[in-house]
Amino acid sequence: MAQTHQSRCRWNRDAVETRVFGVLRWLVIAVLVLVTAFPLYYMVMLSLRSLDQVVLRPGVLWPAEFDVSTYVSVLTSVADGGQGFLVFLRNSFVIAVLTVAATLLAAIPGAYAISRLRFAGRRQVSALFLAVYLFPAILLAVPLFVFFARIGLRGSLVGLLIVYVAQTVPISIYMLRNYFETVPVSLEESAAIDGCSRFQIIRWISMPLALPALMSTALYVFMIAWNEFLFALLFLAEDRDRWTVSLGLSQLAGSIEIPTTVLMAGSVLLTLPIIGIFFLAERMLVEGLTSGAEKG
Amino acid sequence: MSTVSYDGVSRTYPGNDRPAVDRLDLQIDDGECVVLVGPSGCGKSTSLRMLAGLEDVDAGTITIGDRDVTHLAPKDRDIAMVFQNYALYPHMSVADNIGFALKVAGVGKAERMRRVREAATMLDLQELLDRKPRALSGGQRQRVAMGRAIVREPQVFLMDEPLSNLDAKLRVSTRSQIAALQRRLGITTIYVTHDQVEAMTMGDRVAVLNGGVLQQVDIPRQLYDKPANVFVAGFVGSPAMNLIRVPVVPDGVRLGDHVVPLDRATFARIDHNPEVILGIRPESCRTTPQDGPELHVRVELVEELGADAYLYGTAALGSDRHTDIVARIDPRCAPVTNAMVRLTVDSTQVHVFSASSGQRLSS
Repeated sequence: MAQTHQSRCRWNRDAVETRVFGVLRWLVIAVLVLVTAFPLYYMVMLSLRSLDQVVLRPGVLWPAEFDVSTYVSVLTSVADGGQGFLVFLRNSFVIAVLTVAATLLAAIPGAYAISRLRFAGRRQVSALFLAVYLFPAILLAVPLFVFFARIGLRGSLVGLLIVYVAQTVPISIYMLRNYFETVPVSLEESAAIDGCSRFQIIRWISMPLALPALMSTALYVFMIAWNEFLFALLFLAEDRDRWTVSLGLSQLAGSIEIPTTVLMAGSVLLTLPIIGIFFLAERMLVEGLTSGAEKG
Repeated sequence: MSTVSYDGVSRTYPGNDRPAVDRLDLQIDDGECVVLVGPSGCGKSTSLRMLAGLEDVDAGTITIGDRDVTHLAPKDRDIAMVFQNYALYPHMSVADNIGFALKVAGVGKAERMRRVREAATMLDLQELLDRKPRALSGGQRQRVAMGRAIVREPQVFLMDEPLSNLDAKLRVSTRSQIAALQRRLGITTIYVTHDQVEAMTMGDRVAVLNGGVLQQVDIPRQLYDKPANVFVAGFVGSPAMNLIRVPVVPDGVRLGDHVVPLDRATFARIDHNPEVILGIRPESCRTTPQDGPELHVRVELVEELGADAYLYGTAALGSDRHTDIVARIDPRCAPVTNAMVRLTVDSTQVHVFSASSGQRLSS
């Protein structure tokens, strides 16, 4: 009875929802893809055309001929008449890698301590970590700038490195702590009985099991350090040799004689490494490493 | 291989008034297997974890051999432990899991592999050495956990309910394997379980705990035949011993219309108390008429187990007093529900406990 009733009634709630959402889903996906991917696509296309073509017909979406000369000029050093992005890339890369290394070095034991050790004020400490982000960066920027200038770290990559590490350690500890807490305590107890000291437990048990979290944290920190602009501007603006990519790009954008194609090529160069690293790391961001540890 | 001794060991968890383990005294001989058994929350796991160094000791000392290990780190105690959940390292192969302790101890690769193979052969794990734990069944994981313990040749084995995650059939076979392995290796073993059948079958001696207090330590037979108090009497044996509060009369105790005679030593220990607790094992009751005190029982349920049957009923103890009673009966002449039967109690097999302290009074 119920079935015949349902098949007769073609416009029941379930059928309507299935159809409406079926259409709506693709619509939403299409809009989102367009909104996010189109600027990137246009940026890449602009960077691959010659300047006069761009000036003549800016709206062309698929150029008749590709021109990589812009990239060559962006990458050649200033001495040879280019923009010297190779140096910026190197600076950004060095800073980002060092930031990741230093941050993880501090965040791994820190996160472990908060997740596993019992000490007075443990909860307060972990709440304080996030309190750092209550302050807008600009609020910290000025005092830090003055302070670093006084102790002679202005204009040095080391000063910038310290700021980046200080900014990324709290969020890294927060991310890692949550993951460390998912590692079963009995695994660590087992390792302790097997003869491990606390540091050996971290090295042999906690870290391998937290690898996905370590990778995503590292990636996140790398992105922050790579893209960061405000502090780079404050600390490094004077000396072109020390510019990072994002700083270089904005400095160039500020000057009128720089063609759009060069800016676009610079933007592509700023974006590509992040995308590349993400795809390389993606396979390591797997979940479920701890399955099988305990009775499933 | 070593002796283990607990001397007045106590542990109170922060925020609790009552100690989880209260002044535990327990001596374990070299090569002996002692089972700690008791209901959940009785402190058996805490006792084991204190020996492992995973739990702080608030008072007393623990020694392994002649070393005081009370405040040593787990890694310095030379013990191996099998966890209830196995706690296998999920990112390592079976071989690496078994060999991990040796690797940490700095044993060379060739020697390590030799010993891992040896342990794997003992546990029938040779085929699985390259697998990861998640690709193993529950029983295989359990064997890997065992392998991880035996490869070390430690002073003491600790086992924390190692069988409770296996299904019933596998549990029985693994139980005998572990017992055989323990005897072959001759390593001092402390085994924690809440299952009294495991306790009775695995242990050279069994220690019964309740509420953090050690009740009795003895060989399984003694534990069953001469339980030291009401708790042990009720805990050991399945179905449990019938414990009935009965009045004391001049030459014994009154059970229903009859008097159960007591020997003089027991009587002396009753010390003018008006009441005692009488313990009767289900197998000490007979449905066939025999000499001895009788109980009139209304049958409520008969559990047929094949070889045995258990009768659950209500026995009249006088004008208006009744008590629940369980008796083992012959399954071929089991009564029907609501029938009235006469149970004869074997008066030589009864246990007498103090009604006030619960301690054993009969010898």
